[in-house]
Amino acid sequence: MIKAYASRAWGFLKSFQLTIVLLALLMCLVLFCTLAQVEMGTQGAVDAYMRSFIVWNQPLLLRLPFPGGALVGLLLTLNLLAKTIDIKLSWQKSGMWLVHAGLVVLFAGEFVAGMMQVDTNLSIEVGQTVNFVQSYKQMELAVIDVTDPTWDEVYSVPDTRLAKGGAVAIPGTPITLNVKKFYANAELSNQGPGAPPSLATAGIGAGVSVEERPVVSADNEINQTSAFVEPIAGGRSYGTWLVSVALGAPQSFTHEGRTYTLAMRLRRQYLPYAFTLKQFRHDVYPGTEIPKNFSSLVQVVNPSRNESREVLIYMNQPLRYEGKTFYQASFGKNDTLSILSVVENPGWLLPYVSCVLVSLGLLVHFAIVLRRSLKRRQDKKEG
Amino acid sequence: MTFVQKYLAWGAGVLALLIALIVALPSGKARGFDVSGFGTLPILEGGRVKPLDSLARNSLLAIHSRQGFRHEGRLVGPDEWILDVLFRPQVADQQPIFVIDDPEVISLVGAKQTKNRNYFSFADLSTHLDEVQKQAASAQPIAPQKRTRFQSAIVNLFDRVYLYYKLRNTLQLAGSPGLGWELQSLGTPEAALRHQDLTQLAHFRMLPPTTAANPDAWLSVGQALAGVQSGAGVHPGLVPLAKLNAAYIANDAASFNTALAEMNGVVTTLKPDALGHASNELVFNRAQPFFVGLSIYFVAFLVLCVSWIYKPELLRPTAYALLLSGAIVHTIGLAARVILQGRPPVTNLYSSAVFVGWGAVILGLIVERMYRKGFGTAVAAAAGFASLIVAQNLGTEGDTMEMMRAVLDSNFWLATHVVTITIGYSGTFLAGSIAIAYALKKHISAKPDPETDKALADMAYGIICFALFFSFVGTVLGGIWADQSWGRFWGWDPKENGALLIVLWNAIILHARMAGYVRERGTMVMAIFGNVITALSWFGVNMLGVGLHSYGFMDKAFVALTSFCVSQLVFMAICYAPARFWVEKPRSRS
Repeated sequence: MIKAYASRAWGFLKSFQLTIVLLALLMCLVLFCTLAQVEMGTQGAVDAYMRSFIVWNQPLLLRLPFPGGALVGLLLTLNLLAKTIDIKLSWQKSGMWLVHAGLVVLFAGEFVAGMMQVDTNLSIEVGQTVNFVQSYKQMELAVIDVTDPTWDEVYSVPDTRLAKGGAVAIPGTPITLNVKKFYANAELSNQGPGAPPSLATAGIGAGVSVEERPVVSADNEINQTSAFVEPIAGGRSYGTWLVSVALGAPQSFTHEGRTYTLAMRLRRQYLPYAFTLKQFRHDVYPGTEIPKNFSSLVQVVNPSRNESREVLIYMNQPLRYEGKTFYQASFGKNDTLSILSVVENPGWLLPYVSCVLVSLGLLVHFAIVLRRSLKRRQDKKEG
Repeated sequence: MTFVQKYLAWGAGVLALLIALIVALPSGKARGFDVSGFGTLPILEGGRVKPLDSLARNSLLAIHSRQGFRHEGRLVGPDEWILDVLFRPQVADQQPIFVIDDPEVISLVGAKQTKNRNYFSFADLSTHLDEVQKQAASAQPIAPQKRTRFQSAIVNLFDRVYLYYKLRNTLQLAGSPGLGWELQSLGTPEAALRHQDLTQLAHFRMLPPTTAANPDAWLSVGQALAGVQSGAGVHPGLVPLAKLNAAYIANDAASFNTALAEMNGVVTTLKPDALGHASNELVFNRAQPFFVGLSIYFVAFLVLCVSWIYKPELLRPTAYALLLSGAIVHTIGLAARVILQGRPPVTNLYSSAVFVGWGAVILGLIVERMYRKGFGTAVAAAAGFASLIVAQNLGTEGDTMEMMRAVLDSNFWLATHVVTITIGYSGTFLAGSIAIAYALKKHISAKPDPETDKALADMAYGIICFALFFSFVGTVLGGIWADQSWGRFWGWDPKENGALLIVLWNAIILHARMAGYVRERGTMVMAIFGNVITALSWFGVNMLGVGLHSYGFMDKAFVALTSFCVSQLVFMAICYAPARFWVEKPRSRS
């Protein structure tokens, strides 16, 4: 009985029907995802369609639930694995075997990228030294001990933790933050006359009204994440503060002789090494504004490796360093600011492996087919 | 095939090649002036050194949508036109070269729509320039895909008028006595102002760099005059240029040709390779290999259609020979572009259309050699013709050998990723075209012919395999390029998605056929749908206006693309029509 079910399940998994249906579903998803990018931005659309298991509210087909990219991809991988195992290990089938094995690797690569890839950026001005990368969208509330003028001690609370509200103890300090209200996106304005009083009792926030806004995901928009927090230390409240990405100047309070600043900012990851931008070049074709090349000459200083060297990062020539890859992405401030995009993807080699496997497999397969058909022609002629 | 038939067939092919050669030969002097010699002079524009002739053709294409026009009973070519614009603007201003199609724009410039195409001279437009500029200025901030028809048309007109205005103020300020006078009246404050205007309005730089230290420092006439003023000495090119100017105004052809030789001498001394390179490009421009190629493909297609009803033994080989000579012209043109540009064949949308057509024609030639049914010829000629028509339309937007923007400036990836993926497009289109031929043949031919049907199905199948290989490898190579330049292998960018759709669709066709869900006819219907997918991913994503790949937005093409897709759906319906539509006689009697 169980054997019968298992064999039916196996038959289903390796069936051509499943392959075709899944490929067709994937085509639909790719189409939806492409069209949705106009409104949602690339990242938003990819998260909604490709990185989800079920798309609940797709706009193009009567808003019916639709299998998401992750589900289709997973099933397709299973189908592919079943197929790969099922293909008889014979020389005749060796090409097909290679192709399907290569596809499994390709899918694995996309899964690894989807689950584990971290995209950040590093913006750096000429002459400046930077030892952190920052997120494109995610925020953090940084509590920085600035007492020592030569050394900042940074503690940070991610926006996802702030969103849960309640009390957050800051390890390594006597401070506990009481998150009174959190806005994933908000608009700040000067408080007009007659407006309800602000939740803030200290800092600049007392004169500011905060209005909640829907979360944005388009590529060129950024959420003005804001929160009201109350630092408590040694049983004493230091007032309720408004912290927001929209606020420029940091705000600080002093507890037992140590000064702490509060700042909502893009989430940072500190690196055990630092980059100094020595030169940024923005070359154009003569007599035009058409860009020919962008390049950043950086000094990489890594005390742990006792390393200090110059690297030129330019178009199509990234720097791969300590598991991260640094690409020339953008520039600003009259060509004195260079923005490097930073990608950390442990599976970056998989597509390369896959490409070799599949190309080789297809060539082998077509060679075998060609030989067979030539032989058939020969036989026909002789017979 | 008798000897005479063979002789006649190949004779037709050779004749087509001869015609192509004649087109490439230099034309005579216009009114005694060596205008094509003037067009050979190298200039710096759009970031590269090219002959003045290329600029003249592209500007005239942009303004007039043709490379020449009839005026006062004479055909005016691009080189003669640019001479008038540069040196005798008062003459050029009277030539009705501005095409305006939009009725609202026509009424804005104070005229009535009289015929389908309406031509205006710069003089006609000059009294309405303020209004055109005002309207264009209010439309320009709107994103191109959100503009109304009028807004697009007015911005388009303004761009063309501005181009013309800049051209007529590049070598001398329009209305001034000329360059010779400019050289004599140096040193006054008004002169300095004029040099400033000339520098700002200059559309191109004609004076080669005088120092080897800075090989890209070409100068415009305004810059060179300002240089004289500030004590940098007279640029050796200014004097012959002034002589050319004076001789042209005075209608003195002999002095013009002498001054031209002098100018050539200056250019050769300062930039030894530039003149040779420019004259090669001029020959390429004049030969118009892609226009000649598409004409030959058209004739080949017609001959083949006739062959089905009249003298097939003679006409089928004739069509094949014609297709072959079209392919030779096409190949030479493609090779010339590669050599002139120093880049792999596909660098922009225009060249991708040229290359897709070329790939389809070469594949079609091979298929015809293998099966000899005439279908390979028909489909290849039609595909080559159609894609070159698309290329001709894409080529009206400016220099087709434009410089590559930073990310794209990589010959290795242009040669691998872009070429393979474009071959994938070619294959998918060719398979779709064969499927259309199959569907039409089934309906038109009176008696069933399973052998030919089988041959067509085999052709389509083989080409789909070929296309799958190239589009897959091309897509993955694109991923690797993206990994090298943007830091991710796959970003679900619209262009990447488009390529993926082609791969997925071809994979579906092959799996469905392998599993036996579709047979001959089903495969063909699916192959036709491949045309829709390929067209959408090739052009459709450029219309979305999002993503890293959207470097060529086109709005006019939207209508063309939609009608193409609808036509393919109709062909699918024809191909899928129930059995009783397939044969004339009822089944029971056959």
